[in-house]
Amino acid sequence: MKKVLFTGLLLMLMTTVTQGEELNGEQIIEKVNDLLNIETSQSVSKMTITTTSGKQRTFVFESWSMNSGEKNLIRYLEPRRAKGQATLMLNHSDDIWMFFPRTQRVRKLATHAKKQKMEGSDFSYEDMGSGDAFIDDFISKRLEDEEMMDKECYVLELTRKPDASMSYSRLIMWVTKDNFYPIVIDYYEEDDATRHEKRLVQSDIRVIDGIPTAMKAVMMNKNDNTQTSMEMVDVKYNVELDENMFTERSLKK
Amino acid sequence: MRGLETSRFMRKLLILFIILMPAGQIAIAQDMVDIFGYYETQYMGTALDQEYLALYSNKLRIDMNSDVSDNISFTANFNYITYHGKTQWNILDFLPERVISDIPAEMRGFYILPFDDQNFLDNANVRFAFEHFDLTAGKQQISLGTGYVWNPVDLFNIKDVLDPTYEQPGHNAMRVDIPIGMDYTLSALYSPDDSWKASAKLARFKGRIWRFDYSFVAIEKIWRWHDYSKFDMTRYSFAELPERRRLYGVTTAGELLGLGVWAEYAKNNMEETDDFDAMVIGTDYTFDFQTYVMAEYFHNTIGKSDDSQYDINDWMRLMAGEQKTICRDQVYAYIQHPLTDFIQFGTSGIFSLTDNSLALVPTLNYSYSDNVELMAYFNVNLGADGTAYSQSQGSGGLLRARIYF
Repeated sequence: MKKVLFTGLLLMLMTTVTQGEELNGEQIIEKVNDLLNIETSQSVSKMTITTTSGKQRTFVFESWSMNSGEKNLIRYLEPRRAKGQATLMLNHSDDIWMFFPRTQRVRKLATHAKKQKMEGSDFSYEDMGSGDAFIDDFISKRLEDEEMMDKECYVLELTRKPDASMSYSRLIMWVTKDNFYPIVIDYYEEDDATRHEKRLVQSDIRVIDGIPTAMKAVMMNKNDNTQTSMEMVDVKYNVELDENMFTERSLKK
Repeated sequence: MRGLETSRFMRKLLILFIILMPAGQIAIAQDMVDIFGYYETQYMGTALDQEYLALYSNKLRIDMNSDVSDNISFTANFNYITYHGKTQWNILDFLPERVISDIPAEMRGFYILPFDDQNFLDNANVRFAFEHFDLTAGKQQISLGTGYVWNPVDLFNIKDVLDPTYEQPGHNAMRVDIPIGMDYTLSALYSPDDSWKASAKLARFKGRIWRFDYSFVAIEKIWRWHDYSKFDMTRYSFAELPERRRLYGVTTAGELLGLGVWAEYAKNNMEETDDFDAMVIGTDYTFDFQTYVMAEYFHNTIGKSDDSQYDINDWMRLMAGEQKTICRDQVYAYIQHPLTDFIQFGTSGIFSLTDNSLALVPTLNYSYSDNVELMAYFNVNLGADGTAYSQSQGSGGLLRARIYF
């Protein structure tokens, strides 16, 4: 009996190791994508922008996501200057509408607006709501495994597909082996795959509603020498959301 | 003695109760009503004929919002504005001699644009969000069209070409928005005047196809313009020429070849004067290095095709906000680049294709802190005398600080 149990454990261990070693870049990025794109989510986040001179700006916003990140709605709660401003992103941020409460005006933005900094932060709109972009817009290749932030990681190189709309030419991603969470992502410039533009570091990973979640994310801009941190104040997954939330009518509420 | 002390104590308790009770009520009210707003102080200067003219203003806007229940919300804002410095501007000082020479000397004092202190309730409305439609009743923003500077389909507002994103006053109206599926909305609006006939009515169908939003608009409104060559001494104002205007328009906004694009077209059927068309086409783009560029072309057949045709009515109607332009064809171009995370530098140029005049407006926006914004606008007119943006109108600038609370 002991022999059977031992053999069984050994087989399980070997299978796990073999699976891990056999996973190619596309398989790993699919797991990452599944992990990040939960069917629905609702969260409150605090975003702090820090400039080179140490000045800070803080924004608090509530966001909702549906269809595994295909639809996103962001509404600002703080500061007073931005209160009530809202952004609706559909089709993985290919369609963006912004609402300005003081003028009650909704403005449709074209795809190029995805590159714009969100409220002057180091996150672009594209960074906030690109959904399946890791799979749809990039070809993923597994590089040699590395240790990153004291964690064993798969290292992936994502190269933009020729007709993709993403504004990064290449990404390097460190994905933890234990839960397939991308803890570090390096972003390279659109026109120069050798120029490192930004680095995202995700930390304080907690399991919420059974889903690993980074409670803190810091985007560092290598060109401007600025950084923006995003702290998760509250998050819920697989909540019941009405599809009508992701319309212009809801944007104005 | 004890009775006197008790009486003093009771009196103190009563006073404390009276003081605390309203404070408590205010606290409860504040829980239900979100109160916020801003204070804005602004300095505007213009160099004109060897003189430097200055107008200073202070504005306090207090907003209130309350979700009375799940489907009913109330909003309102109160505005208090004071003006100081040169609060009486004679528009004739900015117009070419050719235009003002026909105006009798005794009438010249009537062309005054006054900046009087104001306090008013704005955007005070209640919104009922029913399952199948929204109903908004009260003073509200009516924002029509996709254009950035010019909106041919908007009969309710005229933007300031030098400051097109500044908030517009609300309009008293009842409005129904009926969503049809995810992509379509049917809206109807009624803005009452002294009779049903004189009231403004609007119907709009808005939808989405592929990467484009589009809308069809029909509006009927009395256009209250004036004849600025005739002064009505009995009413002590220029002669009013109210006229029914019916507008049929179409708008779109979307993306083409990677560029943001938008367009509006409006056909205006006038009851007495000539019908006219207006159209705007615009495009924008953001480069990888964060520079944003935009251009908009505006064509309006009510505008004159030659600057020699501009008359006192054209100028006055433009200044009084009765018509959007005096030129038939204009181009607006804008470029903006973030100098730092908190400082945006931009320049807009407004070029009249009709009279080849140009105004340049460099702008600087600085986010000083989370709730403090500083803005500087400069305005340089480079056109020849008599043109829409002539040097003789003077050049100047504006400094604005806005503190949100």
